[in-house]
Amino acid sequence: MLYAAHGRTRDEWGHGAVEDRVRVVIAEDSVLLREGLTRLLTDRGHEVVAGVGDAEALLKTVAELASGDALPDVVVADVRMPPTHTDEGVRAAVRLRREHPGIGVLVLSQYVEERYATELLAGSSRGVGYLLKDRVAEVREFVDAVVRVARGGTALDPEVVAQLLGRSRKQDVLARLTPREREVLGLMAEGRTNSAIARQLVVSDGAVEKHVSNIFLKLGLSPSDGDHRRVLAVLAYLDS
Amino acid sequence: MTVSKIASRAAKGPASAPVDGYAPGEDAPPPVRHVLDRRTFRELSFLLLDLPAGLLGFVYAVVTVSVGAGLSVTVVGLPLLAGGLAGARLLGRLERGRARALLGVRIEEPSPLPGGGGLLPWVWRRLRDPVAWRTVLYAFVRLPWAVAVFAVMLTSSLVLFPLVPYLARALANADRAMVRGLLSPSDELERRIAELESGRGVVVDSAAADLRRIERDLHDGAQARLVALAMGLGLAKEKLLEDPDAAAAMVDEAHGEVKLALKELRDLARGIHPAVLTDRGLDAALSSLASRCTAPVAVTVDLSSRPAQAIEGIAYFTVSELLQNVSKHAGATRVTVDVWRADRRLLIQVVDDGRGGARLDGGTGMAGLAERLGAVDGLFALDSPVGGPTTVTAELPWRERG
Repeated sequence: MLYAAHGRTRDEWGHGAVEDRVRVVIAEDSVLLREGLTRLLTDRGHEVVAGVGDAEALLKTVAELASGDALPDVVVADVRMPPTHTDEGVRAAVRLRREHPGIGVLVLSQYVEERYATELLAGSSRGVGYLLKDRVAEVREFVDAVVRVARGGTALDPEVVAQLLGRSRKQDVLARLTPREREVLGLMAEGRTNSAIARQLVVSDGAVEKHVSNIFLKLGLSPSDGDHRRVLAVLAYLDS
Repeated sequence: MTVSKIASRAAKGPASAPVDGYAPGEDAPPPVRHVLDRRTFRELSFLLLDLPAGLLGFVYAVVTVSVGAGLSVTVVGLPLLAGGLAGARLLGRLERGRARALLGVRIEEPSPLPGGGGLLPWVWRRLRDPVAWRTVLYAFVRLPWAVAVFAVMLTSSLVLFPLVPYLARALANADRAMVRGLLSPSDELERRIAELESGRGVVVDSAAADLRRIERDLHDGAQARLVALAMGLGLAKEKLLEDPDAAAAMVDEAHGEVKLALKELRDLARGIHPAVLTDRGLDAALSSLASRCTAPVAVTVDLSSRPAQAIEGIAYFTVSELLQNVSKHAGATRVTVDVWRADRRLLIQVVDDGRGGARLDGGTGMAGLAERLGAVDGLFALDSPVGGPTTVTAELPWRERG
């Protein structure tokens, strides 16, 4: 059973996420977006514990919460923040993942770069996400992604996945996949569960499982037991 | 008054001042006088120093070139030679200093080699440096010359004492010729090339900086606003069925956001290139700039024709940046902007009665402006005593519209 290793029911990973209340810290320098995100998440019943405007404040806030034994479930961070407006969000995220492996980190950015995704995913794809800011427009999907990352899942932007797929040197092997299988591979790399993929493609869970095992067979990967390990396997495959 | 111009040009200033009583503009030495006056005394001391200096330079040049060339089959040879040539430039500078101080030769420093690019480009530049090679040549020929000078001076001071000043003058003249021939910057061309190269660098840098600024403005402004808008509409879409009133309020908010985003995009587009500048020229464009300044601005543009587009653009952005500075920092109650043409130059003057104290290195973009104007052969002058008023004068070359 794919999900048993984590002691979770399929429902928790997929559809039922909305009922789960997660605790969020938001780091975003634009007040407009910070408040928007806060509203979006609280509106769906989640708790925004803190909202900060730069990476330093983010690290400080998380450290304070950690000392009070009240770590958030997930941190949503902008890539570009003061003072240098470059990639401090990514660097802070990498540091948080190292210092507090239990926290999920979702990085938002105006542009997605496959390089940043690789840095974020270095070592583990547990509880990590990297999405275009535009994705907040699809409120339900975005909140799902936040919850997924909070629960230890993965959320990679389709654009990152497309970059990875396009850049991969295994084009000849990828060409052997059917169009549907490529679609499933993309959704898998984004970090979606089988049931989420099934819902997206409007097919049955069983059909997805069949596609997945076909993909793993064609790519020569051994079927792994957890979603996030599966993402890592796919990414490692594409990246090599 | 702080005047900024391209550095190498400004360096001409002190060098062209009269040195040691010679009339400016006269390269030839003054007529001989019959006494052992101060000038002769200096020339004598120069000639006496010739031998130790010549010896030192000769040894340096021989060692550098032979060791560098000898080792050039190995990895370290050429970098060593390059380092030696860099040192030769230093030697040249010392010799020029000596000639300036004791012989009164007016001689300019050659422009420095451009930096950057790592070790290999550095070595290559150094090896091709004509100034250093000429200095090496100078060092070679100096030793035999210095020995001869020493011999002549020694014998003459013993047996032909009355002739010493004449001989000293003659030998010093030969020295002057040698210094001028081998140690002066090759010519105007060399200087001009270096100047243009630095100018081109500034243009490229400022273009890159402009692109970064535009990207930043987009990222922080319209893009962020559109994301917020998309978020608001997404929420509204979700609410549409369960809570139509809340959804209506959200759509209303989003409507406001989109109008703000439009305004921001408009401002940004104007910041990249204002349409009115292309259509109507400086007068109209500057008036529109003036209306957005926090202080009242009187604009007077006195031009009978329009300059080349590039010049017009630079003039516009110069005034734009200056007025932004006035809005942000000056606290002025009155500003005047004057633009006129004087011969082959376009002149811009912006005067405000604010608190003054603006400085080129004050981080208000003044240095960037000065640099940009320098890159197109322009001039930038800032006069801003603490307490005001501040007068900024910018000068651009006039080019006809092609």
